[in-house]
Amino acid sequence: MAVKKSYDEINEKIRKGQAVVVTAEEVSQMALECDPGEIARKVDVVTTATFGPMCSSGAFINFGHYDPPIRMEEVLLNDVPAYAGLAAVDAYIGATAESKYNETYGGAHVIEELIEGKEIRLKAKARGTDCYPTKEVETIVNKELVNEFFLFNPRNAYQNYAAAVNSLGHTIYTYMGSLLPRFGNATYSTSGELSPLLNDPDFRTVGIGTRIFLGGAQGFVSWYGTQFNTSKQKNIYGVPTSNAGTLSVIGDAKQMHTRYIKAAYMERYGVTLFVGIGIPIPVLDEELARSVSIRNEHIETTVLDYGRSEKPIVGTATYAMLRSGTIEINGKKVKTAPVSSLLRAREIAGELKQWIQGGQFEITKPIEHFPTHTHVKGLKRQ
Amino acid sequence: MNKRYIFTFSPDIVNRPIVSEIAKHYDVMVNILNADVTSGREGKLVVELEGADGNIVQSLEYAKEAGVECVPLEKQLQFDQDQCVACGSCTAVCFSGALMMDADSWELLFDPEKCVVCGRCVKACPLQLFRIAMEE
Repeated sequence: MAVKKSYDEINEKIRKGQAVVVTAEEVSQMALECDPGEIARKVDVVTTATFGPMCSSGAFINFGHYDPPIRMEEVLLNDVPAYAGLAAVDAYIGATAESKYNETYGGAHVIEELIEGKEIRLKAKARGTDCYPTKEVETIVNKELVNEFFLFNPRNAYQNYAAAVNSLGHTIYTYMGSLLPRFGNATYSTSGELSPLLNDPDFRTVGIGTRIFLGGAQGFVSWYGTQFNTSKQKNIYGVPTSNAGTLSVIGDAKQMHTRYIKAAYMERYGVTLFVGIGIPIPVLDEELARSVSIRNEHIETTVLDYGRSEKPIVGTATYAMLRSGTIEINGKKVKTAPVSSLLRAREIAGELKQWIQGGQFEITKPIEHFPTHTHVKGLKRQ
Repeated sequence: MNKRYIFTFSPDIVNRPIVSEIAKHYDVMVNILNADVTSGREGKLVVELEGADGNIVQSLEYAKEAGVECVPLEKQLQFDQDQCVACGSCTAVCFSGALMMDADSWELLFDPEKCVVCGRCVKACPLQLFRIAMEE
């Protein structure tokens, strides 16, 4: 008989400490010997994870009201500008915002330091109004002194991501790392069979409201991510072969840990933030058992030439090939290297597995599913 | 055997062909991996010496007598491994085999013996964990 499990049944098992939880890598190994039916019967939850640079990240902070009050219009945190076009002491610090005086220090560093409990210098300016007369405040803040401090990342956890090479005669410095001349190397940034959205390619269980591991704390999927694209080509295993779905995520940064939120500076590109995300996939039926069983040799990605502005496709490779250390592009052997950490992604998948096994973390049925027919528009001059 | 050294030349000996003399008199192959030499100023060479052990020792003695400071290379690249997240970005630019991902654990492996101090990892590391310390 076909297996059908509900979220409530699985949560009941989690509460009793009886749920069978394995990581996405473990289930892929199981699948070498078990068919999807057996996996659906045996396994309740599969944990997936990723730890990579995710530029489209940032945090909201509410600093608390000053006396006499100020409606902050210009906000600097350790000389990094934050967006303050809000009322009155709210600001959004974006991960890629750069310090006015040091291009290697930015919003990501401010976020990491706040999480770590460090003090940050706040400078705020305003024009002054009858109800908010103060025009300037300079003080020290930390995560205990502010009211709210939560991450709100509009685009994280890309479902697959193209690998990068460079055809030019000189090294280029990109968010995919240093790309050496004449196809001297290839870099890739997905945790492959462990990657969250490759294990639920049709977003059956990941949707708005899904409880996740975010930066070492519990967080939530708040929306589908920006540039969410369901129109990308899928291969015979049902996974897209290039950048497709994305997630918008939210979580209390005060509870997070700098082991899973790490500021970075990419040479001649700028500041970015390594974000650790873990997502549980409930194995509700055989179809989901099949999805979570996917292996690196089944997941393909396109290889793009970052040396040319239109980034033409120069090849494809599976994650099994990318992880082998070399791929072939136009008949030439090219050395490969990751830019996201599989080591730390595995740690996150293991941590989330323990949380669920320990009954501290229950799975959530999406409040609403993501849209099913989306594509991404470009920007034109009108 | 192969050994790597940093040779530091004081300004008064920068113009002497010491490297050629080593190669000629001691049967030691000298591969210059990195060079920063300007007439009238202190100069630095990163070299790999290849030859019989005894010959390398003698050639180093010769260089030292001539006034060249010879420091074994493994002390020169500093890596703050505790802070490393094992993203692998440095392995994209390391061709000496000093920085490699372990194919099972996906930890970053660092073998200072293989490092030629090309400096590419210094720029490639998104956490700035590598430093080339030319002065000991």
